[in-house]
Amino acid sequence: MSSTEVATQPVAASAARKAGAVALRIGAVLGKRLLMLVVLLAVVFAAIELLPGDAASATSERGEGAAGIAARRHLLGLDRPVWERFWDWITALPTGDLGTSARGERVSDLLAAPLPNTVVLGTTAFVLTVLAALALGIWAAARPKGAVDRVVDLTSTAAFALPEFVVSIGLLLVLSLWTGWLPAATVTGGDGAPASWTMLIMPVLALTVPQTGWNTRIVRAALADQAATPHVEAAHLDGLPVRRVLLRHALPGAWPAIATGIATSTGMLLGGTVVVETLFNYPGIGTVLAGAVADRDTPVIAAVVACAAALITVVLLLADLVRARTLGARS
Amino acid sequence: MTAAAVLDPRAARRPRPRMFLPVIPAVLLVLGAVLGPLPAAHSVDKPVTAPYGEAGTDAVLGGDQLGRDVLSRLLHGGSALIGSALTVAVVVTLAATLLGCFAVLHPRLGRLVERIADTSILLPPVLGIMLLALAWPGGGRLAITCAAILLGTPYAVRIVASAAAPLATAGFIEAAIAGGEGTAHLALREILPNLRATILALFGLRFVDAVYVISMAGFLQLGPQPPEADWALMIRENGPGILLNPWAVVAPGLAIGLLAISVNLAANALAPATARRAALR
Repeated sequence: MSSTEVATQPVAASAARKAGAVALRIGAVLGKRLLMLVVLLAVVFAAIELLPGDAASATSERGEGAAGIAARRHLLGLDRPVWERFWDWITALPTGDLGTSARGERVSDLLAAPLPNTVVLGTTAFVLTVLAALALGIWAAARPKGAVDRVVDLTSTAAFALPEFVVSIGLLLVLSLWTGWLPAATVTGGDGAPASWTMLIMPVLALTVPQTGWNTRIVRAALADQAATPHVEAAHLDGLPVRRVLLRHALPGAWPAIATGIATSTGMLLGGTVVVETLFNYPGIGTVLAGAVADRDTPVIAAVVACAAALITVVLLLADLVRARTLGARS
Repeated sequence: MTAAAVLDPRAARRPRPRMFLPVIPAVLLVLGAVLGPLPAAHSVDKPVTAPYGEAGTDAVLGGDQLGRDVLSRLLHGGSALIGSALTVAVVVTLAATLLGCFAVLHPRLGRLVERIADTSILLPPVLGIMLLALAWPGGGRLAITCAAILLGTPYAVRIVASAAAPLATAGFIEAAIAGGEGTAHLALREILPNLRATILALFGLRFVDAVYVISMAGFLQLGPQPPEADWALMIRENGPGILLNPWAVVAPGLAIGLLAISVNLAANALAPATARRAALR
């Protein structure tokens, strides 16, 4: 008994050291990503500061005097130094306080109702994109240079160049005007959400098509890279079935590249929702954002940028984790 | 893909004329858009039909929300979009090439570029464009072009830098350094000529991206302002009348779709597989 204890002790100690090193590395990655987030928010805040006009004058009533505008500028805190306001804003962010809009409403209240709608739209499109890209990429990789591979390559290349609003027009034309299957615009129910789930179909598809094009190409390219590695070639030469080689031998090594690709498409997806929501009159963040641009309501836009950047940071961190795990497993 | 497919000698010996075949649609479309205003029958701002007038002999594709001829506006609407997209692609590619070549020779500059690219990825292009359009209210098309350049460059520099990184430690560069050559000579005379494939692929992809970003801004009414006949703006303006005259929305939608697809296929065909894969990352 004691002899095994002695034997395991160094092992346990080295395991603890290893765990400590892993924790340190995760901490470093986390810190780096967080720092980038803060830097981006500072740049955005400073950029907003450089605007020739500010929210106080942009929302002024007709005939309001200079004194009135100055009073509201004071009320909104616009007469204090930039860094002081940035510090107040960024320290309040983690508590969910997103600041005050130019019209004096709390930004978090403004976003509370449309946010869930956008989350539903974006998440559905994201999940569909990942599933479709994996399926198409693997299907194409099963027979390199075959008919399926060529067709998938051509259509995914074509799809990823298409702006979401162009895809939307095509969908509207086919699914609404010609067939009459789906309503052309979103009607909002009493609770602020779309009245029917069928109103989600076209916006989700419009977001999914271009992003699937992009991610399918990444999955396909990552699998091709893996296919050239010795262990996958060996598995292939051993006569294992193609599907088994792809799923068990090629896919594990391809995950880091795929995860990074999916992570980069999160930003595109978020941007796409703004456009698609405008086109289908969908009650989400995009609609609020369009109004904020017209009003030059910078606190609202800064808050949306902060939320989007935070979300992308989280997704990139997940991609970092996938990469670290794969590389760790290999070494 | 097996090793046999990767090392397929036929792929390397593909005849050149076939390589340029996918480029033809893009060239024809760009030429058509640039020469479009010549055959246009009507001016872009004079009503010739009723609002959302149906297609007839006078207006082949009907009228838009003010009764202006859709076909004439369509023929006028492409050159400015393509012009700004080309400008963005050229400027971003040039800036990224220069910065990328110098970045691999100066590790500190390289790290800075890497950090900026990592940070800028956190800002979705649409939001970035909205911020710049706010900062520059009367900027119109010029503001959008500048925004697209600012947003596109960091990512492009990283692509050039990652393609140039293996070259920086190559023997001929070390020999040149030992020979006392300056940074400018190393970057422009030794590294740059070896990056032709990457730069060509980058230019194609930047053009595709610029068409995407600029037309998106046009759709959001952040760039060109009415009564300009911009394809993306036409889609936004005529959206409410899609039931009355679908052509007013479908025709510019088709035009942007065809432009985006054909340019992307051309870029894809011109870029060698290795450069294409580097650009995907």
